Amino acid sequence: MMKENVMDNAADQVTDKLTASETLSQVDTSRRRAMKQLTALFGGALSMSSISLAVQGYQAQKDIPGRTGKILNPQQLNLLRILVGLIIPATETPSASDVDVHGFIDNQLAFCFSKEEQLAFIRGLEKLQSTAVKQLGQAFAKCHQAQQVDLLNNLLSDLEDASGDFDSKDKDFFYRTKSLTLLGYYTSEIGATRELAYLPIPGGYRGNVPFDEVGKAWALN
Amino acid sequence: MTKITNKSIHIKTQPLEYDAIVVGSGITGGWAAKEFCEKGLKTLLVERGRPVEHKKDYIGEGVKTWEMPFRGQVEKALVEKQYPVQAQCYAFNDATKHFFGNDHDYPYSTEKDKPFSWIRGNQLGGKSLLWHRQSYRWSDFDFNANAKDGYGTDWPIRYKDIQDWYDYVEHHVGISGSVENIPQLPDSKFLPPFEFNTVEKRLKAKIEQNYSDRKLIMGRCAHLSKPAQHHLEQGRGPCMARNECQKGCSFGAYFSTQSSTLPAAQKTGNLTVATNSIVHSVIYDANSNRATGVRIIDSETMQTREYYGKVVFLCASTLGTTQIMLNSVSETFPNGIANSSGVLGHYLMDHCYNAGAYADIPGFEDEFYSGRRPTGVYMPRFQNLVDKNPDFLRGYAFSGQAYREAWWEFGGKKGFGVDYKKAIQQAGGWKFGLHASGEMLPRYENQVSLHATKKDKWGIPQLHFDCSYSDNEKKMMQSAADTAAEMFEAIGLKNVHKYTNDRPMGIAIHEMGTARMGKDPKTSILNGFNQAHDIPNLFVTDGACMASSAWQNPSLTYMALTVRACDFAVKEMKAGRI
Ligand SMILES: Cc1cc2nc3c(=O)[nH]c(=O)nc-3n(C[C@H](O)[C@H](O)[C@H](O)COP(=O)(O)OP(=O)(O)OC[C@H]3O[C@@H](n4cnc5c(N)ncnc54)[C@H](O)[C@@H]3O)c2cc1C
Ligand code: SF4
Repeated sequence: MMKENVMDNAADQVTDKLTASETLSQVDTSRRRAMKQLTALFGGALSMSSISLAVQGYQAQKDIPGRTGKILNPQQLNLLRILVGLIIPATETPSASDVDVHGFIDNQLAFCFSKEEQLAFIRGLEKLQSTAVKQLGQAFAKCHQAQQVDLLNNLLSDLEDASGDFDSKDKDFFYRTKSLTLLGYYTSEIGATRELAYLPIPGGYRGNVPFDEVGKAWALN
Repeated sequence: MTKITNKSIHIKTQPLEYDAIVVGSGITGGWAAKEFCEKGLKTLLVERGRPVEHKKDYIGEGVKTWEMPFRGQVEKALVEKQYPVQAQCYAFNDATKHFFGNDHDYPYSTEKDKPFSWIRGNQLGGKSLLWHRQSYRWSDFDFNANAKDGYGTDWPIRYKDIQDWYDYVEHHVGISGSVENIPQLPDSKFLPPFEFNTVEKRLKAKIEQNYSDRKLIMGRCAHLSKPAQHHLEQGRGPCMARNECQKGCSFGAYFSTQSSTLPAAQKTGNLTVATNSIVHSVIYDANSNRATGVRIIDSETMQTREYYGKVVFLCASTLGTTQIMLNSVSETFPNGIANSSGVLGHYLMDHCYNAGAYADIPGFEDEFYSGRRPTGVYMPRFQNLVDKNPDFLRGYAFSGQAYREAWWEFGGKKGFGVDYKKAIQQAGGWKFGLHASGEMLPRYENQVSLHATKKDKWGIPQLHFDCSYSDNEKKMMQSAADTAAEMFEAIGLKNVHKYTNDRPMGIAIHEMGTARMGKDPKTSILNGFNQAHDIPNLFVTDGACMASSAWQNPSLTYMALTVRACDFAVKEMKAGRI
């Protein structure tokens, strides 16, 4: 990991670092776990809040048919919409697709990820699509929800995938999608304030609070 | 409180001779300015970066996640262009990035295969805005360390020399913590400690039952857990436990130049602040053997100018100060000012934060906490105090916390769908981690120097780093990982994982040692009062002065040394020796 020069390998280190999505990353190496712990401890990268005066925050958009993303074509964006909705579906609160997490991910990919990461993500979506076509004879979007869920369970399965269609890259893709979905959902207003407990100015720290008193996980932990 | 406006601090020319010039407005420079001003000296505080006004310029503070353009992540193009090194720091995010130095404008180079991550805060307030506020006294175990094992040079001071000065700064700063009577970690003058959570309490009891040499205490930090009257009078209020301090805190609840030392200095009417003023070098007069002032390059106009003062305090951070000194060459000092010993730039140290362990704690699903405590739990050093560790010299502390897994930790877990969403809503299991903070030995070969040809955009020679950890630090880290994991197994934690990593020097952000104190002018730059052996009116009170690194976070000690040096300098001025 030690390389020639800090400035030279900086790009590497940046992808390696604890940006929110990396923290959310599926790659469960001990290194990253450790980093994650450090961040959790220091609270730095995770108590997220910011502005960059020049750039507008990502604004959720309506799903009009044929909508195109910044990185994704209409078909890919639609597939992602279904995927994030399967990961975080509607309960008493809206689903990830209801709050446009797919649009958020597309935007995030465009600005915060490298070309290779963008391509890997698109490859993952296309692979899911082609596998649906191969195994179920139709586009992922057209499959029944139960079929979609089966396909994803199949992808995630620890056992050697019987069909041999999915490999570790596909797993990586799905975990990354999950991580980005969580980021998009739980930092949205609905995800943070309605689905979870939200306390921007706690007024002090109390170390012994019955879970029931809060009743939900904290959006900012 | 006097309001600091950009106009009043933004001077362009100044023919006056000041009583004192302080270079750098971070933790140490803020203190030096306050002390001199309160002692009646007309003081000029020189800062290379832009002015940052308390409250008004904390543009990341309180912004809601969904209002952030990338929800806290920083645009890749911006990171690559301006912050490739700074982005390695855990505290770097979209809400804090403007308080980090710009790597593009402040370049440096490193020796092949020896990376160094130089994390900087270059604005009014320096890294005082960014620091994590962990504050621990050093003890005689630390001041005796060099003499005992022969690494580095003996400290010219002992604990008794700075004990009262710790008291003095702690009173003003406000340090939250608990009285523990631990010989290797003397108690501070405390405000109340933050609370342990239920799980930490249980772990504390178990650890202390099992290990008579170890204590788990609440992390000591520069936060107003319960402000005293004099804190309120500084315009500071109680800590709200947001743990978003590095964005800036309008409550003034953590110590920074802006919240604490600058307003105090400003109140005296004796302070002038020159921002956007890069100190190029110290002006030296060979006839009187005095530093007579500083040469400035205006960061915006590129114009140069000079400021004059009776005494010059360098507080530009360890490496900033070293760069200035190396660049201050004269016939008398061809290798850098006050460098007759030749050790300037050598003995660079950082801490080693490259090991630890974490584990699951079964149960306690009914327990939670409220608020985001801005500190963790702390296990002071317990190695090489009485018994000798066979693997390494000196020692390390552990810090950590117990917490329930939050939504962001579910990305790597199995599942999706309704049950998954519910599980996230119900909060994850409890986790506990302990992470080492290890001492680094002072070694001559760890050096920064001026690059022979490379310059920054203002024409100042760049720093070149040639340094790395030694086997002692590596063995210490391995031992720390093993020790933490054994301890976790012994107290019944589950899924114990230990780790070591090879993150480069610099990333612990405790660089120090490059203009060290010592008893012998032939082997050190400064005497026990931070005064240059060679030049009586030149002082260095930032981390460059440190003769060893100890294992505690260093800034509280920098503060104590700074105020002690100010007191000494003023007495010397009054006595006519400066
Ligand atoms: C994220 C983070 C967490 C940290 N956590 C802790 C902690 O918990 N506990 C702890 O003790 N320490 C911690 N530190 C370290 C702490 O911030 C430093 O030890 C401390 O700020 C050093 O004070 P200083 O005055 O020497 O330097 P700084 O605070 O860095 O101030 C130096 C100032 O000098 C200015 N300067 C530099 N060169 C020039 C020049 N040529 N001309 C004019 N001005 C110049 C800089 O712009 C800067 O404003 C942390 C640091 C960071 C970044
Ligand atoms: S935790 Fe305390 S010091 Fe930090 S931002 Fe909140 S109120 Fe300010």
